[in-house]
Amino acid sequence: MQQSYTESIREAAKRLLSEKRVEAVIGFRKGTIPFMNEPFLARTVEQADLLIWDGNCAMNLANYLPKRTGSVAITAKGCDSRSIVIHLLENQIKREQLYILGIPCRGMTDKRKIADNLNGREIIEVEETGEKLRVLGRDFEQSFERTEFLEENCAVCTHKNPVLCDELLGEPVEEQQIDRYEEIRKIEALPPEQKRLFFDELIQPCIRCYACRNACPACYCPTCFVDESKPQWVGKTTDPTDTRTFHFLRAFHVAGRCTDCGSCERACPVGIRVRLFTRKLEKEVKELYGYEAGVVQDERPPLDAFRPDDPEPFLG
Amino acid sequence: MPDIRISKENFPGAIKQLMDRYRVFAPVKKGRFHEFALLQNVEQADLGFSNTLLSPKGLFHPQAERMFEYSLAREDPNAGILKEAQKDFSPRVILGIRPCDAKAFELDDANFNTESIKDPWWVQRRETTTMIGLACESPCSTCFCTSMGTGPFDTAGLDVLLVNIGEGYAARALTEKGTKVLEITSGCSSPAGDHLPLAERQQAAEQRIGTAFDPAAIAKKEMLELYNSPAWEEVQFACLNCGACTFVCPTCWCFDIQDEVCADKGDRLRLWDSCMFPLFTLHGSGHNPRSNKIQRVRQRFMHKLKYYQDKYNSGPACVGCGRCVQACPVNIDIRQVGQKMASPDCSCSI
Amino acid sequence: MSDWEPRIIAFLCNWCSYGAADLAGVSRFQYPPNIRVIRVPCSGRINPKFILAAFRHGVDGVWVSGCHPGDCHYIEGNFYARRKFALLKSQLEYTGIVEPGRLHFSWISSAEGTKFAETASHVVESVKAAGPAQHFVKKQAEVA
Repeated sequence: MQQSYTESIREAAKRLLSEKRVEAVIGFRKGTIPFMNEPFLARTVEQADLLIWDGNCAMNLANYLPKRTGSVAITAKGCDSRSIVIHLLENQIKREQLYILGIPCRGMTDKRKIADNLNGREIIEVEETGEKLRVLGRDFEQSFERTEFLEENCAVCTHKNPVLCDELLGEPVEEQQIDRYEEIRKIEALPPEQKRLFFDELIQPCIRCYACRNACPACYCPTCFVDESKPQWVGKTTDPTDTRTFHFLRAFHVAGRCTDCGSCERACPVGIRVRLFTRKLEKEVKELYGYEAGVVQDERPPLDAFRPDDPEPFLG
Repeated sequence: MPDIRISKENFPGAIKQLMDRYRVFAPVKKGRFHEFALLQNVEQADLGFSNTLLSPKGLFHPQAERMFEYSLAREDPNAGILKEAQKDFSPRVILGIRPCDAKAFELDDANFNTESIKDPWWVQRRETTTMIGLACESPCSTCFCTSMGTGPFDTAGLDVLLVNIGEGYAARALTEKGTKVLEITSGCSSPAGDHLPLAERQQAAEQRIGTAFDPAAIAKKEMLELYNSPAWEEVQFACLNCGACTFVCPTCWCFDIQDEVCADKGDRLRLWDSCMFPLFTLHGSGHNPRSNKIQRVRQRFMHKLKYYQDKYNSGPACVGCGRCVQACPVNIDIRQVGQKMASPDCSCSI
Repeated sequence: MSDWEPRIIAFLCNWCSYGAADLAGVSRFQYPPNIRVIRVPCSGRINPKFILAAFRHGVDGVWVSGCHPGDCHYIEGNFYARRKFALLKSQLEYTGIVEPGRLHFSWISSAEGTKFAETASHVVESVKAAGPAQHFVKKQAEVA
């Protein structure tokens, strides 16, 4: 299924570029190492032939849209399309500029899970055919069922189909009914001291590189709160209190805007599960205000709106 | 000093002997990855690793470091005087460092230890550290050290080279410091007579590493031709300016200095900075000479692969460890960029 | 421990809650002296950064008070604040940054001097029970 997406993406891109419907197409091209692809901007019909689609197209391409000028086509799976809606709501790009190539998504592969399964043996090459993966090392070969090794956010995804697109490049896939917040509830049930220790341990490896922030399409502030110096809200060293402040506030700033695309976790060089911060807020926003980021195009994000009868669980 | 042999059984004992005299830093497994950490006990050391996720540059140039402290209390006669923060410069050993990382520190010396400017913390740490390197038997597919002027068995920057010879390690002292350290472990080792024939192993390891690109070709080019090349437009698109590459890189040394004050106590801190961050070149006036992403992306590769070569008439500021290739969330591959830069008209279509 | 008195920052909106504090003072209502007031134009002005900054500086408790929803001097400020506070409190407790009992919110109008004094007493008592704040305090960067 993913194979034919490559063909349809290339076809659409070539068509849009030669008809001058758009100036460029944002997609992916094949990466240089296993399980990685590189976001790519195709400007010519020749370059459009480099576009591909497979289970390693996890990074949220909506990240490249804010403040873009000119017309652009973009390949978007479910989570990406919702991030595009957020950008439209927040005036980061105009609808007329976009031509969205919608991709019903079967989930992206979690390279870390596969690496764990192989016990750290080096992966030299990967072949993906449909939902089967053939992983080759220097002296071994192993097959995997891709559906058992999906990224964590893909495994609990409830919006695989794009919510907004100009052209849908495949048959819609079935959405699943699943409890997205099982793990969050487990943490909520811990006593306060344990919660603190849990999160302290979680972010202990953080090196404050800001890959999570930069990979996130919702984080586009010209001056991030981390860089504010008058006053300085959070120090820039790896001091534990500062690191906790950073992760807390970043998650808070994307509350109601995060589409759980998983780019933050994927980008983190030390593998921190930062989605444990963002998904709690996603759960609160859903339970308190019945809102899911980027699903409906004319609803203001939850912190930019109110109802006179909003719940007040914080009183007392 | 002739080579010595340390058997597998005796190796923990040798580490223990080192720990009795030095602070020993060795690769320690942490979750999925390894990192260099101070050994509390011998069992922590795990030399069965390819390379650490973060480079060991943090051992000489920590991510965050207190340089000075000062008091602002009115009654304090020392108020406003910067006092150097106390540090531990007691002798230490870094055990199991890979040749690429050791070479990287030699390259970093060009910044921290020059004729006219010496960073006192860097210099002291370098002087009191003995580096026991571990040759790479099985380089990773992302390694390209041989193209960058070093190699899996390179001895630059090392005091001792360890080679895994199956039944144990062969150890070759390369400097006085190295000789001293091997003498300390003499209880657990046996002499191996003349130099052991390690050349075969070296060749096998080097052959596993592909050729990435030729930095000499980049050095030959006109700087402005590279700088103005339209190829950068394509290279920069995917970049997130996240800083992951600079933080894992052993030859990236840029830092920021900040003061943090709480009540009447202040600290002057040095922390890693990255040329990838937009704030990196922001002037006090508000002007930013590298306000665009393309300028920053170009800067990083030009600095590592061109400016450093031009300035110091030596190889590039890159040791081919491959960490940036693995860490980059959008797979910007320095090997590809280097190939572009080295090719005529920067036009190889990758 | 018996000597310790909590330090509590109270963010009070200028029009209602600050007026209530004023009224409580003028009426000579007794309440514990542990709160330090920071006057803001509206509870909607409260940014999560303020509350985090207060805890980072080592205060033991934070109390935010504004007009009753529907009676905001700026019409809607506290409606937005309401959503912010709900998410903020729940996230702070979930991450263990702030123990239960340290962060309080209330709606107090400028005529409710008694309510102000009563809430102040309640807040101080609650923070006393939580003990001195230790975990989320930044005095000096913990670095090499």
